[in-house]
Amino acid sequence: MNKYTLSKRQAVNELSTFYSFIAGFLIALIIGSIILLAQDKNPIDTFSLMFRLSIGSVNSLSSSLNKATPLILAGLGIAIINTVKLWNIGAEGQIFMGAIGVNFLYINLSLSNSTIFIILLLLSAFLGGAFCILIPALVKVLFGVNEIITTLLTNYIVIGLTIYLVNGPWKDPDSLNFPAAAYVGKEVYLPNIFGKLSYGFLICILFTALAHYLKNKSVFGYEMRIAGGSEMTAVYAGINAKQKAFLAMLIGGGFAGLAGGVELLSQTHRVSTGISQGFGYTAIIIAAITGMRPIGIFLVGTLFGALSIGGSVIQTIGVSTYIADIIQASTLFGALIIQFFFNYKLLKVDDD
Amino acid sequence: MNNKILETKNITKSFGTLKALDNVSFNLFEGKIHGLLGENGAGKSSLMNVLSGLYQPEKGSIYIKKQKYKISNPDHASRLGIGMVHQEFRLIESFSIKDNLTLSRSNIHKDDFMTAFKKYSEIFALNLSENETVSNLSVGEKQKVEIMKIIFNNSNIMLLDEPTAVLTPQETIQLKNSLETLATEDTKTIVLITHKLKEIREFTEIVSVMKNGKMVSQDLLTQKVSDNELINLMMGNVKKSQINKDNTIGDVKLDVINVSFKDPVNNIKKLSNVNLQIKSGEILGLAGVSGNGQVELANIISGIERTFEGKIIINDNDISNKGVKSRKKLNLSYIPENRLGVGLAPGVSVIDNSIVRDYFQTKLGPHLSKNRSAKYLENLINQFSIKAPNPKAEISTLSGGNMQKLLMGRELVGNPDVIIAAQPTRGLDVNAVEGIHNLLIDQRNRGSAIFLISEDLDELFKLCHRLLVIYEGKVIKSFTTTDSNISSVGLAMAGINE
Repeated sequence: MNKYTLSKRQAVNELSTFYSFIAGFLIALIIGSIILLAQDKNPIDTFSLMFRLSIGSVNSLSSSLNKATPLILAGLGIAIINTVKLWNIGAEGQIFMGAIGVNFLYINLSLSNSTIFIILLLLSAFLGGAFCILIPALVKVLFGVNEIITTLLTNYIVIGLTIYLVNGPWKDPDSLNFPAAAYVGKEVYLPNIFGKLSYGFLICILFTALAHYLKNKSVFGYEMRIAGGSEMTAVYAGINAKQKAFLAMLIGGGFAGLAGGVELLSQTHRVSTGISQGFGYTAIIIAAITGMRPIGIFLVGTLFGALSIGGSVIQTIGVSTYIADIIQASTLFGALIIQFFFNYKLLKVDDD
Repeated sequence: MNNKILETKNITKSFGTLKALDNVSFNLFEGKIHGLLGENGAGKSSLMNVLSGLYQPEKGSIYIKKQKYKISNPDHASRLGIGMVHQEFRLIESFSIKDNLTLSRSNIHKDDFMTAFKKYSEIFALNLSENETVSNLSVGEKQKVEIMKIIFNNSNIMLLDEPTAVLTPQETIQLKNSLETLATEDTKTIVLITHKLKEIREFTEIVSVMKNGKMVSQDLLTQKVSDNELINLMMGNVKKSQINKDNTIGDVKLDVINVSFKDPVNNIKKLSNVNLQIKSGEILGLAGVSGNGQVELANIISGIERTFEGKIIINDNDISNKGVKSRKKLNLSYIPENRLGVGLAPGVSVIDNSIVRDYFQTKLGPHLSKNRSAKYLENLINQFSIKAPNPKAEISTLSGGNMQKLLMGRELVGNPDVIIAAQPTRGLDVNAVEGIHNLLIDQRNRGSAIFLISEDLDELFKLCHRLLVIYEGKVIKSFTTTDSNISSVGLAMAGINE
C-alpha cells in the first residue's frame, strides 16, 4: 500500500510569495467568474467595468489609492508585529482608536498653524493605536497570554467605546440623530496632492519605506527577527526578547492607529462607526498574502483598494459589491494553498 | 534467571549513515529490575524506542514469551504489555490524575479504578486525590502518575528512561522502594536506563551495557560485577592523545570563584562552590554526565544566567554583574550545547544567524548593512569552509556539521580570549569532529583560554591539559590528562569519588 507524506523543501524559491499571489489572484478571478456566471452576469464585462472604474481615470485611480491607504498602513502594522512572530488581529480596533486619538486632541487643543496641528493630530492617532495594543502587549510579555485572542478582543472593546462616544459625550447635535461626532474643522483636513488624491497616500508611501527599513535594514529589525526565531537565541545574543516583542507591538499598533487618523483627516472628517469598513481585517489578508513584506503590502494593498472601489461601483449594473470581498478572500486562500506547495513536497512512501 | 519474558535478536536501526543500533540482542527476565547502562548516544533510548513501538528496526526480531512479534506502533506495544516512561512526561497538564490514568481505558469501572488507585498510591506514597489537576503536581509526583499510567494500561514490562534525572535524593530512594515492590509483588519487569553507576548498584539485579550502538555486555549480575568493570565496558578503550600539549601557557584569562546557583523555578541547587581558573593557551575540560550543572555553569560564565552567587573574572575584570554584550566586548565566546535553538535561531536565515555574535559592534552596525553582513558571512564561509549555498535560506537547511561550523566560525573569527565550548562535537561525523578539534587547537596555540565541556572522554583526553569532573553541581575531582587513567575519570563521572 502506498502512503503519501509531506516533506519540507530544502530551498524555497525567493519569488514564491509573488508567484503564489499571482496564482491566488487568478484562482480568485475564476471563483468570482463562476459566481457571476451563476447570476447570469458576464464576468469579462463585469471585471473590465471594475477595472475601468477603479483605475481607468485619474479620478478613479485617486479614489483607489485613497482607499488603499488605510489598508496599507494597517497591513504594515501587522507585518511589523509579525517580525517577532506575533499576530495582530486588532488592527481594526487600533484604526478606531487612532481616529479617537485625533478627535480627542482636536477638541482639547487649538493651533493656528494647521500643518503642525495636522502633524500633532497624526501623532495622536499613532499613540492611540499604540495605546490600544498596550494591554495585549503587556499581558503577552508578562504572562504569555496569547496575543491573537487579546488583540481580537480589544476590537470589540474599542468599537463599543466608539459607539459610546458618538452617542454620548461626542455626539454632534447637528447630525440629525445620526450617531457621529462633530466634523473636524476644514483647517485640519489633509489636503489633496492633485485631483482627489490625498496627502494621506504620501504618508502611506513614507511609512511603507519606514516599515521596510525598520523590518529589513535596521538593527532593531534584526533583533526582532532573532527574538521571533528563538527567544533562547535572543537571550544568548544579549537581546532582550520580551522588550523587542513589546516595542514591536506598540509600533505596529501605532501604524494601524495612523491608518485611522489619516482616514479621518482625509476622508470621513469625523468619528463614527463608519471610520473603518473592516480595513483592519482586510489588512490581515494583505499582510498574510505578501509574507509580511512592506513593499508587497503596498502593492497588494493598492490592488485591494482598487478592487473595493471597483466593487462599489459595479452595484450600478446590479452586481453585489461583495464580489470584491469574495475576490480578496479567495486570493488569500489560493495564495496560501499555492505557497504550501512551494514550502512542501508530496512524497510517496512505501509502507511494508 | 530462567523466566525470560522478552528477547530481542540482532536488532539494527540506522538513521542516515549512523547506526543507532547494531545487531543488538537484549533479554528481560520476569519480575526483575534491569539496568541498561551506557553513555549518551550509546543507543539505550533507541533500543527502548524499538521495544515501545516508536521505531521500526530494519533487521532483527522481538520475542515476547517465546512468540515472535513485530511491534508496529506504541499502541501495539501497549497491547503487548510494554509501557515506557519518557524523560519528558507525556501527561495532559490540565486533566485530573484520574483522567490521565484512564485516558486509554475510559471504560474502567469506578470501583475498580478506586481499588487500583488506592493500591498504587500506597506503593508510590502518593498522597493526592484522584481529582487533583496534574499541573498542580510537583515533578516527582508527576513522574509517579506517569509510571502509574503505564500500570493502568496493563503493562507488565516497564521501560523507564532516566527516571531519577528529575528527582531529589529522597524521591530517588522512594522510587527505588516503589519499583522493588512492583517487581516482587506484581511481578512487573522493569528496565531502568541510566548512566549513574550508583543507581545500577542500588536499583538493579541484572545489568546490560551498551556502547556505540552495540550491546557490549549482557545479563551481568549486578552484585557480581565491579564498578571498574562496568566503567571499562561503558567507556571502552580510550585512545590517549597524539596532540602536542607543550604549547606556551600564559596568564589567567578566566577566573571562576565560588560560584553557586539555585534553579529559581524549583529551588533545586544546581551548582555549589565551583572554582576554576583557565590560563591563556590552556584547554580545561569539564567532564560529567549531562545534567550535572554544566549548562548552568556555561550560562553563568557567558552572562545568560545572572542570578548566581560568586564571581566571574575575565582578564582581571570582574564581570559578575555584566550582561552578555559586555562580556562579548571583553572577547568571550560561547559555543552552546544546544546548537539549533540557542546558538542558532531556527526559522531565521543563514546570514542573520551568522552575525548573532557581532551584529551590535561597529564593524557591522549601527545601521545594519546588507553588504557588510554578506561580506562577514562570506569570510566565515571561506575561512571555515562552510557549505551554505544560499545565505537567505533558513538555517535548518544546512547539515548538522555545517551548522556547527557556522556557529564555531562565528564565535571564533574574532580570535576570542576566552572560549566556552559545550559539547562542540556531539552528533557530528568523524571528519567534522576532526575539523572542530583543529579549530580549537588553533585557538589554543594563538593564546585563547578554552573551557571545553564534554561527555566524550576521548575528546577531553585528546584536547585538554587538565580535567575537572562535575557531579551533581560540585567539582568533585581534578586530573591532569597526561598522567591519569580513564577509568578513574569515568568512576568520578559516575559519582564515585575515592
